[in-house]
Order: sequence, then C-alpha cells, then structure tokens
Amino acid sequence: MTVARKNKFILLSLVLLFPIVCGLHLFAGEISVSFSDFWNSLLNFNTDNTSQTIIREFRIPRLTMGILAGGGLSIAGLFMQTMFNNPLAGPYILGINSGSSLFVAFSVMTGIPFLTSNIGTISSALIGAFIFGLIILSFSYLVKSHISLLLIGIMLGSFTSAIVSILQTMSEPNQLKLFTMWTMGSLQQVEFTELPLIILFFIVGISLSLFMIKPLNALVIGESQALTLGIHVKYVRLALISITAILTGIITAYCGPIAFVGLAVPNIVKMIFKTQSHLTLLIGCFLIGSFFMLICDILIQLLESTIHIPINALTSIIGAPFVIIIVLKRLA
Amino acid sequence: MIDLNEIEIGYKKRLFSIESIQLLKGKVYSLIGANGAGKTTFLRSLQGNIAPIKGQILINNTEVKFFDRVKLSQTIAFVNSKFDGVDYLRVSDYVGLGRTPYTNALGRLSEIDLKIVENSLTELNIKHLSNYFTTKLSDGERQLAAIARAISQETDIIILDEPTAFLDYANRKLVMKEMRKIATDLQKCIIISSHDLDLCIESETEILVINKKTKTLDHFIANSLSKEKLIEIGF
Repeated sequence: MTVARKNKFILLSLVLLFPIVCGLHLFAGEISVSFSDFWNSLLNFNTDNTSQTIIREFRIPRLTMGILAGGGLSIAGLFMQTMFNNPLAGPYILGINSGSSLFVAFSVMTGIPFLTSNIGTISSALIGAFIFGLIILSFSYLVKSHISLLLIGIMLGSFTSAIVSILQTMSEPNQLKLFTMWTMGSLQQVEFTELPLIILFFIVGISLSLFMIKPLNALVIGESQALTLGIHVKYVRLALISITAILTGIITAYCGPIAFVGLAVPNIVKMIFKTQSHLTLLIGCFLIGSFFMLICDILIQLLESTIHIPINALTSIIGAPFVIIIVLKRLA
Repeated sequence: MIDLNEIEIGYKKRLFSIESIQLLKGKVYSLIGANGAGKTTFLRSLQGNIAPIKGQILINNTEVKFFDRVKLSQTIAFVNSKFDGVDYLRVSDYVGLGRTPYTNALGRLSEIDLKIVENSLTELNIKHLSNYFTTKLSDGERQLAAIARAISQETDIIILDEPTAFLDYANRKLVMKEMRKIATDLQKCIIISSHDLDLCIESETEILVINKKTKTLDHFIANSLSKEKLIEIGF
C-alpha cells in the first residue's frame, strides 16, 4: 500500500469513528437520555421535556465546543509549528491565548455593556489573539533560536496572567467568580443560540486554511527556500497569524485558555501519518484534535460525581508529559 | 540568456563591476572569489533580491526587477549549500515542491507534475530513494535530492550556492558531473559559487572570477586557466 493510500485509509477510518465518539460524548453525562430525545431536541424541541432541554441546552453546545476547540486549537498549533519551523510551538505556549485572555479580562471587567456582550467578548478575544500573534511574529525575526521564541511566549503568558490577577483583585465578587471559572476552562459556557455565530467564525477560519496548504507545504523547507518557490512569505505569515487568531481567539473567549492541545495533537498527527502534506495534516489535526478533546471531556463527565476536573487541568496533565517526551525524542 | 552589461554589483557599497558578460544555456559557470568579494551579493542580484548599484540585469531580454515572485520562481531555481532534511518529508514530496510555482491555489500535483518529479529523480539516479525520508539520507544523497527539486522547477537558470561545501570528494565530483550533464541534456544555464578551485578546473566548467586587483568580474572559458593563474587573479 502506498503512503498516500494508507493515509487516505486512516483518514477515512477516523471520519467513520467521528460520529461514534460524538455519540459517546453526547450520551456520557450522568443523566441518561435517549437517541430520540436528541433528534426531537433539534427538530421539534419541546421546552417542557427535561431530557430534550438537557440535550439542547447542555449536551449539544458542549459537544460542539469540544469538537471546535480540539480541532481548531490543533490546526492553529500545526500552523505555528510549520511557520516557526518548531515542533514545540502552539498557540498556548506562544502566548496567543494570553492575548485573548487579557483582552477578554479587560472587556469583562470594564462593565461596559457592549464589551461584555457576546460580540464584544469575541471581538476582544480575536483582537487580543491577533495582537499577541503579531508580537510573537516580530520577536521571531529578532531571535534565531527556537527555544528563545518559546521562552518569550511563556513570558508573555506570565506577564498577562499577572495583569489579569491584578484586574481580579480590583473586580467585584461576582465578576471575579465568573472570571476565575473562565480561566479554568470549560466547554459548558455556550448557549445553544450562540452556536451559529461561533460555527460561522469557524467555517471562515477553516475555509481560509485550505488556501494555506500550498504555502505551508513550501514553508516546511524554510522561509528562504519558500521564497525561491514563488511563495509570498510575508503575506502568508500574516494570513497564518490571522487564521490562528480567529481559531484561538474564539475558543479562548468561550472556553477559557486550554493548554497543550495545540502543541501535542499536531505532533501526534505527524507521527501517525508520517507526512508533511498539509492537507492530510490539516484534516488529521481537526479529527484527532476533536477526538482528544471529546475523550478528555467524557473522562471529566464520568468522574464528575467523585471529582470535578477543569478541562484545562486535564489537557495539561496529559499534555505536559507529552511535551517532555517530544523534547527527549529530539535530543536522542 | 543572462546579459550583464556595464553593471556595478554591491549592496550599499560597490563591490565589483561587470563590463560585458553573457551567460548562456547549456553551460556551467563556476563563480570564484575571495570571502567578502561579493559572490553572495552577485547571486542575490541575479535573483532580483538586491538591485545592482548601476546598470540592468537582463534575463531573456527582460530586466530582472520587473519579474514578479512567481515568474522569478519559474525562471531561476536556487539550491542552498546545505539541506538538513525535514522530519517526515519524503524525497518524492520534497522534489514535488519544485512544482510549487506551477500548481493551483490548493497546490495539488497533477499527473504531469508527478511525471516531471519522476523524471528529475531519474535524471539524478536517485529514483530508488523517492520513498525515503529526507532526514534518512546521506549528505550527498540529500544534495542530489535538492538538485532534483531544482530541476523539477523547470527553470532556464539554476543557481547553486557552494553546493559541494559539505560533501566528501566522491560526492563533490558526482555533483559537478551531474551539473554538467544537466546543463547539456536539459539546456540550462547553471551558476555555481565555489571555493573549490581544483574541482572547478577539473570539471571543465566556465570560470567567473572576481578579480581582486581590478574589482571586475572576469570570464574565462573552460580549460583556459590554470589554478595558479586563478589564485593570482582572485585571491
């Protein structure tokens, strides 16, 4: 079997597995619901039916956010890794999440109605992610070493979390509680009616990504070589930062900061597919990223009666050792 | 092919001038000069990255500064002195990147593209490596793969920046032999910057040397120059 065919086969299997994982996630919660409740909640929703309400108001938004967060952050991580030629890059470690956090914190704590509204929060998150993306991009021209860039990203993260904690001490108790909950990360912050807007942003982000496949494939062999292959590297970098900002910003706005998914998943995907074809990697990242997120969340739901684990804690528990493994593998 | 008439090469300050040199298809030119004499600046000027201080660089009768990025990548291919290989990047996919200037927005390779990739690999006798990861090759094989990538780019001109610097004797000879074969077989104009005087003379290439005294680029046809004379002019 050729490589391309083998990879197509793996992708197809993952696509077939997708509804199964979604189904598991949908029906994993403590209160059991039936399949017909699921269809009814979508097609002829009855507000008096508790099961249908649970599905529509809790399970479906949570499932959707799991898919989008896992898939989106993984794609953003893939972009960062190829763009900076650095397998340890990702939106979280480079501080792009922190940009969103900082701007969301500011806008929530101002108490100005427009800024605290949905569209206000999303805008702040996107702008924050984009600005921090540009900061990292400009630093990448100054520092040559991979590790230095990661350290700058981590410092951006520490810096913003310090500012955010100062903001917290100045805020009112109910705002504080809201914000603390948000920093732990949750897939359950979104309401059913907000989903269309979020999905729309996502479709825009993913559609733009398709046009990045060709430049990404060329960027694999380095920026200067990509230039001699006719790639407009400058514009491509801006486009990649913008898409990363859309994907990371919107997830961070609604789910809080989620660590390590964007770093770990692209590496896993490359190990599985053993290719640098970014079409394959992109689809792979979306599917495996959302699986990773959904399986984490299923675990959380199963353990919920004994212990409540925030999603950000779980992804870090799994992700951090994984990063160490990658580092050790590189050194070997 | 490339017309260089009354040109001054340099970046901020003048490095050397060219009175009148024509670089032709079917020939390999070795670019010789001391460190800092301006080899890299000259190569970058040919690629339109640096404008000459005076005069115009003409490629196929068009001034190179009017080429857009894609047109340029369809005219000149560039090979670095070293390609380290990339994790999970296979030789065939790497050589396929040479088709980037010709593919559509999604970058998909057509049947014709794949055929060109295959021919490039065959030309350099590395078809048996096409499924290997670029990280698993020897230095010599990797350099051949880089040259195959440049060939699949189907440009009239190939520029190589010290392509033999990191290779052992056998591989250096092999690369030069292949470059001469490619120049004649595929009618390309090939420019190689090098510090390896023996190799350039031995391989019977044309010589472009940056004259240390007159600060000019001097052209000598193949076999017309001894090593001693070359050292006297350039170093």
